[in-house]
Amino acid sequence: MIMNAHNLAKRTSKYLVPLFILLALFIILAASLGSANLSLKETAIIIAKYIPGVNYFIDWRSINPQSAKIITQIRLPRIFLSIFVGIGLASAGVIFQGIFRNPMADPFIIGVSSGASLGATIGLLIVSGVNFLNLSAASIFAFGGAIAVTFLVYNISRIKSKISVVTLLLSGVAISALISSINSFILIFRTSDLAKVIFWLMGGFTSATWLQFFTIAPVILVLLIVSSFFMKDLNLISLSDERASQLGVETEKVKKILLVLASLIAAAAVSVSGIIGFVGLITPHIMRLIVGPDHKVLYPTSAIAGGIVLLFSDTIARTILSPREIPVGIVTSIIGVPFFIYLLLRSKREIF
Amino acid sequence: MKEKILTIKNLSFAYNGSNVLDNISFDVSSGCFLSILGPNGSGKSTLINLISKVLKNYKGEIIVKDRSLKNLNSKEIAKLVAVVPQYSNAGFDFLVGELVMMGRFPYISRFGREGKQDFDIVEDVMEKTKTLTLCKKRFNELSGGEKQRVIIAQALVQDTPIILLDEPTSHLDINFQIEIMDLFYKLNTDEGKTIIGVFHDINLAANYSKKAILLKNGMVFGYGEINNTITKENIKKVFNSDIYVGKNPFTGKLYISPTFNPVFEVPADSRDVKVHVIGGGGAASPIINLLYGRGYTVSCGVVNNFDTDLDTSEMLGISYVSEAPFSPISLYSQNKNLEFIKSSDIVVLPEIEFGHGNFSNLVSVKEAQELGKKVVIIEGKRIKDRDHTGGKAEKLYNKIMANGAMIIKDISEIFDKI
Repeated sequence: MIMNAHNLAKRTSKYLVPLFILLALFIILAASLGSANLSLKETAIIIAKYIPGVNYFIDWRSINPQSAKIITQIRLPRIFLSIFVGIGLASAGVIFQGIFRNPMADPFIIGVSSGASLGATIGLLIVSGVNFLNLSAASIFAFGGAIAVTFLVYNISRIKSKISVVTLLLSGVAISALISSINSFILIFRTSDLAKVIFWLMGGFTSATWLQFFTIAPVILVLLIVSSFFMKDLNLISLSDERASQLGVETEKVKKILLVLASLIAAAAVSVSGIIGFVGLITPHIMRLIVGPDHKVLYPTSAIAGGIVLLFSDTIARTILSPREIPVGIVTSIIGVPFFIYLLLRSKREIF
Repeated sequence: MKEKILTIKNLSFAYNGSNVLDNISFDVSSGCFLSILGPNGSGKSTLINLISKVLKNYKGEIIVKDRSLKNLNSKEIAKLVAVVPQYSNAGFDFLVGELVMMGRFPYISRFGREGKQDFDIVEDVMEKTKTLTLCKKRFNELSGGEKQRVIIAQALVQDTPIILLDEPTSHLDINFQIEIMDLFYKLNTDEGKTIIGVFHDINLAANYSKKAILLKNGMVFGYGEINNTITKENIKKVFNSDIYVGKNPFTGKLYISPTFNPVFEVPADSRDVKVHVIGGGGAASPIINLLYGRGYTVSCGVVNNFDTDLDTSEMLGISYVSEAPFSPISLYSQNKNLEFIKSSDIVVLPEIEFGHGNFSNLVSVKEAQELGKKVVIIEGKRIKDRDHTGGKAEKLYNKIMANGAMIIKDISEIFDKI
């Protein structure tokens, strides 16, 4: 009986298989939508052409080269980039929520977003034009800023090699406020560039390229795999630091490792997308309701679900007011905030 | 001599600059059931946290099974020492089965997963802790007693020789307290687990443990067999409170109780008032205790040895006249009693049962009355029902009443009469 309840592979695949199917359907749907109207069938055939093993059965001549180009060069890079950013945000969210033992924590809670914003501002206004590893100056500086601020917050809240969750949260809020005001201060002197910065901050994938994708996706993937080996530890840490130590977790060490990994994941995601709120907060929460709190299952499923959520949001962002685009950060907030409030009211009833 | 499973040598631990534990040393032999007792802030929980290495940076040595804690990593320690804390509601609502399996963490490698052995142990322990049927329930749905059993199961699957208890029962109803303490008792006697527990409830500790350690201000005040450690004097010094230490007549185990003697402002002249209380069958104890508490000079007699009233007199250190157990009062004792009565101002006659053996006590009261002493009778049950002499005692009793003895219904009224 217990054997059954604990078969991890079975439990995980029970949720992962439907999620992957859903993701595949969303990819085809999203690739077919846009200003140039393509049928679902045509889209599916074009995508299938690139899947090894399947492409053997595809009749080349039925494909319109123009459509193929739209899909493979414009839509797919954007689709895959948004999926990976979604994966990154949701998985970082799971880790932060686990460490903080609070389902209301998100990847930006200890300053990733404010650091990335300041970095992006500097990148856009001061050193624009620099390129490194296929990434723009804004991306690189956003990544660096996110890491720097996280590091700062972390060190402030560290007391004799121990990190208190409450101090971490409070110093995160304080430093974020400070960094945001520095950001605003810089913008006062460059009002002409305000639009550029604000547009970046609202988040989006307008300029997504395969190069961007192939630079950031491996980073997120590797971090994701490394962190997945700490999910047993995270389960125990989510009980309490003390209990985790009693049960054999090197709590302080693992917390540090996970905080670094999650911050890196979040910073990598933010560097190519801008600040996209609520995906990292709400996806883990929904998945916890479905699969339960066991991080061994929650982590991979939330990651894929995060990809789906952000792809869905981005597709809405670029099609709903077509040909005009709205920043995806606005879409996630419009969907996310009511849901967040719903969760707050729910938890008010249940927990307090 | 049994093998030493835990040795603590010159252990000190400071928190925010002040010493919580101050140079303590003791060792525990394998298979012991040890209670750590002491007032709040004496360092009990700190000690538990140090032995489980939740707290580090201590001075001195903690040696578990011949290995210093300093040389062991978290997983190795978790295979030697398990902690049972008080349950607290989990933020994330895990399934009971998941929670218990978490106790196997030290046995599962980072890249591995639970094997058959882990499932077998989990199932076995869940059976033993009666949590198997809760396996697929969410933790937060459970009752307090069930939650505590799940936490115990989580600690037991660690399969450690030492189990530390951090007041695992103090927030539970008495039925759950007993159920859980019985479980630890069984683990101790049947499986030879060494159990070291912090308890608030000294009686609970005394019922189950073999040894006790008393902590005061971070130092070991006393350590040894439970009966030699929990004494009136030790408790007075460590907890600063007066207690009665006796034996539970039902189990024969050590049993303590507060003396329930609220501190009143003692009238300056009460020491000069001498009160003699007739004893017998424990009926005198409450009144002796009360009068003693108010500062009166109290004596008691005649009581047989092993009578509760004699224990009370001894506990409080007052004078008494005693007689061999189950023997009628001898003339010698009766005369001795009369001497006490003569030097007293007041004689109190509690609600005693009278037989042929102690009839002379009643005679003494009558004599006291004739000597002009104030006699106070505490009346509850009718004398008719307390008379086992065939009417002799009733007759004399009524005579004393008729002669102007003061009658009270409740012992607290006594102060109005004195």
